[in-house]
Amino acid sequence: MTLVEKILAKKAGKKVVRPDEIVEVSVDRAMIHDALGAHTIAKFRELGVEKVWDPARIVVVLDHYVPNKDIDTAKKCLNIKKFVIEQGIENYYEVGKGGIAHQVLVEKGHVLPGTTLVGVDSHTTTSGVVGAFATGIGVDEMAVVFKTGRLWERVPGTIRINVEGKLLSPIMSKDLMLFILKRLGVSGALFKSLQYTGSTISQMSFESRMVLTNMAIESGATNGIIEPDQKVVDFLKARTDHSFELIQGDRDAEYAETLEFHADDIKEPMVAVPPKPSNAVGVTEVEGTRIDQAFIGSCTNGRLEDLKIAARILKGRKVDKFTKVIVIPASQEVFKSALAEGLIATFVEAGAVVGPPTCGPCMEAHMGILGPGEVCISTANRNFQGRVGDVTAKIYLASPATVAASALKGKISDPREFFREA
Amino acid sequence: MELKGRVWKFGKDVDTDELFAGRFIMGGDETNQSQYQEFIARSGLSDVGHRENVPRDFLTKVEKGDIIVAEENFGIGSSRQQAAETLKFKGVQAVVADSIHRIFFRNFWNLGCPAIDLPGISAEFETGHEIVINLRQGTIKNLNTGKEFEFRLIIPSWFIDMVEAGGLIPYHKSLKA
Repeated sequence: MTLVEKILAKKAGKKVVRPDEIVEVSVDRAMIHDALGAHTIAKFRELGVEKVWDPARIVVVLDHYVPNKDIDTAKKCLNIKKFVIEQGIENYYEVGKGGIAHQVLVEKGHVLPGTTLVGVDSHTTTSGVVGAFATGIGVDEMAVVFKTGRLWERVPGTIRINVEGKLLSPIMSKDLMLFILKRLGVSGALFKSLQYTGSTISQMSFESRMVLTNMAIESGATNGIIEPDQKVVDFLKARTDHSFELIQGDRDAEYAETLEFHADDIKEPMVAVPPKPSNAVGVTEVEGTRIDQAFIGSCTNGRLEDLKIAARILKGRKVDKFTKVIVIPASQEVFKSALAEGLIATFVEAGAVVGPPTCGPCMEAHMGILGPGEVCISTANRNFQGRVGDVTAKIYLASPATVAASALKGKISDPREFFREA
Repeated sequence: MELKGRVWKFGKDVDTDELFAGRFIMGGDETNQSQYQEFIARSGLSDVGHRENVPRDFLTKVEKGDIIVAEENFGIGSSRQQAAETLKFKGVQAVVADSIHRIFFRNFWNLGCPAIDLPGISAEFETGHEIVINLRQGTIKNLNTGKEFEFRLIIPSWFIDMVEAGGLIPYHKSLKA
């Protein structure tokens, strides 16, 4: 069995599971956030149950609409806070204490290898980076999980994404992921799991790997996963006292498909042109496209290494006069590290605005909303029509390096000129 | 269980931002069912005139009991259940598509509305056709062309009981009795 099949078999209490079999698994972690938390709670109340199955397994993070932008969002967050107190849920992250849910779940050691996580958010797949089965569900199902601690799942066959070779800076894992999506398309992995393997992945930093599991959902996949190695152990050791088991796939595991990639094939930084994450082209093809906004942040690319590479490009320079440049660390922890390393000062000096650790303008939530015809280059994960505001706005997806370079010129720009030897 | 309705033909890759925009996610009072349903029904597909994959007159002419037949990858994107709810509250009783994204698939069933994926089915229907779906037999019929198609769903054994109970929440409440 593949890694994901082994986790689901274990959690279903079965020796063997096969792709497309329906299983019922126990849930190790369940996450709600402010965007759908109040709805989940209303559904839970409708079930007529007094207490959640296990408050210690629930994680609540406020990240989409905080600090609250209006009375509606404030009311929903209040409902969530009341529920958290009433149910005795310890793992509650108010704005200023956590950050983006997917980052917080991993950073606080809430997700362990070989476990199951569900969240009311499609990018819950991010946590697959530790070798867990992590996926998104809707609020009715989450209400039932809160009652029973169980979830049905269609066992996804595994598509193996094998990547060999070395990515040459400033080409990042985001460029790799856009390159993968170009081949896979936005529906290439429906009801399948994406498992990333190969030398590129094992050499890659833990943070870079999170981009791959985060954007697995963009191919339609149920989840994204990477076999846990020493990097995962080192990351988690400092963050949790819980013991965990490093489950690996069997050597003779059967994959639904294996797609081979080579890092050398990515000749230049990639940009996904609207309106699909799979519309990847080389940056030189869209170079010079005027932009109104540049966003560095999100659960995809708001981590320390992302801010570092952006700061390297922005340091001592000024962003374009007519471009709104928004930088948002993915969590309070990332924010603190960025402060300590002087990155925040670099952004502010360059003329960027630094926002509080939240989802920011990854979607049409509480800030950075786009008006008619505006063009944004973003490190986030989706560029659907109307995703971040007006339906006529256009969103290009790229790496933090490409977005930073573009921010300086007010047009889509190739970051490589900032990395040439002097 | 038989569902009969009038077809609306949708294109491919209908995404959840399109079905229900981010600006409405925190709207509606989820503790007041009738107010919530009215809000969700009204707020969905708000930018439909700008989209090529949804018929322009869908919003003004959709009626209770209508059925969407879509091309591939229906419901791609977010967990937001409102994307499924808005279709239900506008009157859509089922979605049939060449393929359906996992989260939308689950969300729509959980509301008591079948989502049926059958590769190639979209080519067999046009807006205005009459469709009949037999859930337990696994058949779809186009009453205008007379053609019948078989499907096999990969769903839990209790799913059709759940639809008959009116959705996941009513089904779970009925289990207690």
